[in-house]
Amino acid sequence: MKSINTLYIIDDDPIFVFTTKKMFDKEEICKNILVFSNGEDAINHLTPLMDANNEEELPELILLDLNMPIMDGWQFLDEFVKHKTEKKIIIFIVSSSIDPNDIQKANEYQNVSNYIIKPITREKIKHIASEITALVN
Amino acid sequence: MQFNVNDSQQVLDFIQKAAKIGTWQVLLEPYEIQWSDITREIHDVGKSYNIELEKALDFYKEGYSRDKITYYFNRCIEQGEPYDVELELVSAKGREKWVRAIGFPVLENEKCVKVQGLFQDITEKNKTQKKVALREQQFRKTFDSASIGMAIVSLEGKFIRVNQSLRNMLGYTTDEFKTFNFKDITHKEDTTLGDKKFAKLLSNEISNFQIEKRYLHKNGSIIWASLNVSLVSNEDGTPLHLVAQINDITKRKESEKKVNTLLEITKDQNSRLLNFAHIVSHNLRSHSGNLEMLLDLMKHEEPEATDNSYFPLVDTAVNNLSETVENLNQVAILNTKLHEDLTPTNLYEAINKTKESLKAHILENDGSIINNVPKHLIIDTVPAYLDSILLNFISNSIKYKKPDVAPKINISTSFTDDNQYLILKIEDNGMGIDLNRHRKKLFGMYKTFHKHKDSRGLGLFITKNQVEAIGGKIEVESEVGIGTTFLLHLKHEIN
Repeated sequence: MKSINTLYIIDDDPIFVFTTKKMFDKEEICKNILVFSNGEDAINHLTPLMDANNEEELPELILLDLNMPIMDGWQFLDEFVKHKTEKKIIIFIVSSSIDPNDIQKANEYQNVSNYIIKPITREKIKHIASEITALVN
Repeated sequence: MQFNVNDSQQVLDFIQKAAKIGTWQVLLEPYEIQWSDITREIHDVGKSYNIELEKALDFYKEGYSRDKITYYFNRCIEQGEPYDVELELVSAKGREKWVRAIGFPVLENEKCVKVQGLFQDITEKNKTQKKVALREQQFRKTFDSASIGMAIVSLEGKFIRVNQSLRNMLGYTTDEFKTFNFKDITHKEDTTLGDKKFAKLLSNEISNFQIEKRYLHKNGSIIWASLNVSLVSNEDGTPLHLVAQINDITKRKESEKKVNTLLEITKDQNSRLLNFAHIVSHNLRSHSGNLEMLLDLMKHEEPEATDNSYFPLVDTAVNNLSETVENLNQVAILNTKLHEDLTPTNLYEAINKTKESLKAHILENDGSIINNVPKHLIIDTVPAYLDSILLNFISNSIKYKKPDVAPKINISTSFTDDNQYLILKIEDNGMGIDLNRHRKKLFGMYKTFHKHKDSRGLGLFITKNQVEAIGGKIEVESEVGIGTTFLLHLKHEIN
């Protein structure tokens, strides 16, 4: 069962992207996975879709890294919340940072549903899948 | 009393009384001595007292005063010389007085026939003068020999007088000082430093002020000084001059500068350490995480790769790396977050919770944990730290049990004498630690990364840091072959 049509991975670490994609493929959770290596690429892609309210192409889930070049995760979030969409887009922060300040800050964003500490394991992917199913339905 | 200005005797009496000046005369042919009322008063003798000339001079104090008056009186008679002297007298009642005695001869045919004179009590005037002289002397001595620099400065800032200490401090001579305004030898950045306070001093808002400023030594070097300035005014409040006390604080300033430099360096190093902690927390973690994920995928996607004899070694190395990074993270987080709020927590329940989470481990080793902590005792702590502390101590006690002896852990509480701390005593019957050899290493960081069969990775180093982070401290008592007792001093709710 594929509960996610489109998943965005916004992360500059190719190994993380590679392994995460593999794990999602194996669990068969989502149809399409789009990868952006920094926040700016992602927001440039998302803005026209959000403004046009293109439900078809907008993602259901975004996995967002915090430390990235050009535009980091926080800056991405600040841009993202400026746009209103009717489609519910779930954002999970996925970061190596275990700094409680980062976790606290993530909680302050309404759009952020979860904070996952790297590495991602197959157990975590399964957990994400069931959480997404609950959130989407 | 009706007063007739034309009666010269009445006028004379009046002047005598008002000015406390007595008169006297001595007739020589035949000898007769006459004292006015005031003169008698000064001598403390009544009107009926009969005076003899020799006795009259005996009222003068023996020694200098009597010798002087005898000399002047005789000279007056013999050579016709008048006199005006200030001498000491002892009155009939034994009171010591200062008097001014004036005598002048009355001559007939160039021969002295009588001596007339005035007599005045000047004791009060003399006392005041002496006091002033004494004070002046005291001030001068204090000023000249003071170990701090002192100066008397005019209201315009000119040096009037300087003492030896100030000359030594700044290297100028008195004559050089006298040519200076104080601003001439003040560091140019400090010339206006005391201006506002000086204005307040002149308007009597303050009686003195203190500033720290720099002077210029004759040799060009800078002297840091603590300057205290006070204003001297005359009796009607008109400012006369300033008294400055100047203390050389160059050495203190130099060490302050050193301390500040050290502080800056320490701050800088500290922030670099925090930065390093962040790198450890984030960057190392992402790499070890990637390795874990890759290996995990490999196991499932390429199962045949795990047959390679290198695979389990790589797997172990990656796991060890991840665990080390995890431990480093614990330390980093602990050091970056020292000011977490303390929460009141029930100690008895926290211990039971730890017992529960170690249940399998305890059963496996046939251990027993006796929780003797009062059930309602509340301590102030970070609950996560308390859990970690208890878990570490209890699991250590089991881990380092004596072979073939069931571990027994006794947990109890008491209070320090001043009631400031609760002492949590965790006593075991394990192998014990040779404290003579290991006390220093016991809480060292190395222990954290020391591998043990069932190591939790959280050594005593982290435990100690956690205890300190919640405002407590750890003491340890141990004997090899008997057991170990840890004493934790913790903050508790004082009811």
